[in-house]
Amino acid sequence: MDAFIIILTGSLVAVSCALLGSFLVLRKMAMIGDAISHSVLPGIVIAFLLVGSLQSAWMIIGAGLIGVLTTFLIEFFHQKGKLQTDASIGVTFTWLFALGVILVTYYAGNAHIDQDCILHGEIAYVPIDLMYDDAGNAIGPKAVIVLSVVLTLILLFITVFYKELFITTFDPDFASAIGISTSKWHYLLMGLVSLTTVASFESVGAILVVALLIAPASSAYLITRDLKWMFLLSSLFGIISSFFGYWLSYALDGSIAGAMVTISGVIFGICYIVTVLKK
Amino acid sequence: MIKNSIIHLILLGLIVSCSGPEKVDNDKLKVVATTGMLYDAVINIGKDKIEAEAIMGPGVDPHLYKATQGDLSKFNRADVIIYNGILLEGKMTEVLEKLGRQKPVYAVAESVPENMLLPFAGYQDAYDPHVWFDVSRWSLVVREIGNSLAAVDSINTEFYSKNTNSYLNQLDSLNEFVTSRIEEIPEERRILITAHDAFGYFGEAYGIRVEGLQGISTVADFGLKDIANIIDIIISNNIKAIFVETSVSEKSINAVVTGCREKGHNVSIGGYLYSDAMGEFGTEEGTYLGMFRKNVNTIVEALK
Repeated sequence: MDAFIIILTGSLVAVSCALLGSFLVLRKMAMIGDAISHSVLPGIVIAFLLVGSLQSAWMIIGAGLIGVLTTFLIEFFHQKGKLQTDASIGVTFTWLFALGVILVTYYAGNAHIDQDCILHGEIAYVPIDLMYDDAGNAIGPKAVIVLSVVLTLILLFITVFYKELFITTFDPDFASAIGISTSKWHYLLMGLVSLTTVASFESVGAILVVALLIAPASSAYLITRDLKWMFLLSSLFGIISSFFGYWLSYALDGSIAGAMVTISGVIFGICYIVTVLKK
Repeated sequence: MIKNSIIHLILLGLIVSCSGPEKVDNDKLKVVATTGMLYDAVINIGKDKIEAEAIMGPGVDPHLYKATQGDLSKFNRADVIIYNGILLEGKMTEVLEKLGRQKPVYAVAESVPENMLLPFAGYQDAYDPHVWFDVSRWSLVVREIGNSLAAVDSINTEFYSKNTNSYLNQLDSLNEFVTSRIEEIPEERRILITAHDAFGYFGEAYGIRVEGLQGISTVADFGLKDIANIIDIIISNNIKAIFVETSVSEKSINAVVTGCREKGHNVSIGGYLYSDAMGEFGTEEGTYLGMFRKNVNTIVEALK
């Protein structure tokens, strides 16, 4: 049963990340997950300083707000400052992270604050981290519930606004010409990325999310140029990574997230070799 | 179409993955302790009536611990879980608190009364969790472990309380040993400088001034000012040795040694101290008593 829940959690994260990751890879913003994983630090510290407690609900709010701010700043410097997206991502998240480090050392030097011990969850504990209703009955693993809601939101968003997202991703100039605001869709998409990453960090830890945002979508990108196929293949790669990653960690008694990321890297390697051989 | 395929794939994955590891059953009380220190106390109290497992092995920094696949089955198999608490286990704490709804889970270090905990910067929820470095505070924790085991396994209450008392006697003689050894250090030289503030309780209990480079977290970086401050303290008090900890990198402490040398003061590295983790299980330093003695001997030899 535990194996089932962990693989389900991994798969939920994997599919959410694969769908959003496909857009990120196509928009040359793949590193945004890594950026958010670092830039949330000041959000956590400020939430702690304001509330005086390390309750995870406050930490998620702080982290989530800074996550949105991160995506906003990245787009702002890219559009208004004419910076390349990679430079814009790099400038924004290092600056926010540094701000967080200064806040920790200056205001909270003695308290134990960093995103690793306060925000980032651990996929191994998902089966025992249950959610309870008001009467105190267990409903189910918290991460599975949270991540199912997140995935539903993403699926709804992409299905309903598929056309807008498609056009703004592939042909922003044409989109503007026919009156679709590229920035609006960008901010909506990035807001969703921020929500997904912060919720997933809290459930399963950072490295898994950062990797699953990029590796499966990149592997799919090597094989297909059709967006729908890219969604399907990257989700499939993500689920395979989560399934085999779990059993790899079982065999080695190692970190589950580490093993899942390893498998996603192996899949990327195979896809790369296949595309090279095909040429 | 795509959504359906994804759902099918997830379901397929789930069906295949249902064959989890089998549980091993016997009638001994299964106790899981998070840190080595707790594990050591647990096996001294439970002896052959229990089957104990530790989550964090030797040399592991509990602040940075990454779970493995096997930890989950340890928690699931356990009849009772003993953890430190006071946020030593970081994010794992939340999970353990929740697990407390399903099986007995005890945050044993939280049995130390709040007025005996050293606060940090006046925030709520922020006490120094390293209570094991004062033997008298640790005795309270050990007593709590004894009570916890007795509460879960009431048939063996007498057995546990007998073992708890004899272990507490050993802790008392350890306490005397520490006090008398520390007295060998001239009073003005009782200053302990290490990389990480794990020794707050140690300093308070045995009259040693403790200066750490980092804050309570092993992740927060030390600032240039911290290094300069420490160097000033070393030079003005003519301190002979500073210490490296086994679970924290020695880079920061080397910076201090170099800094002192540049100012013409020779300070040596007095040795390695066990802080957040103990030595290998099965060795002398792999037990609480051995680890504590080793630390005190290292400190006394270097400073006296």
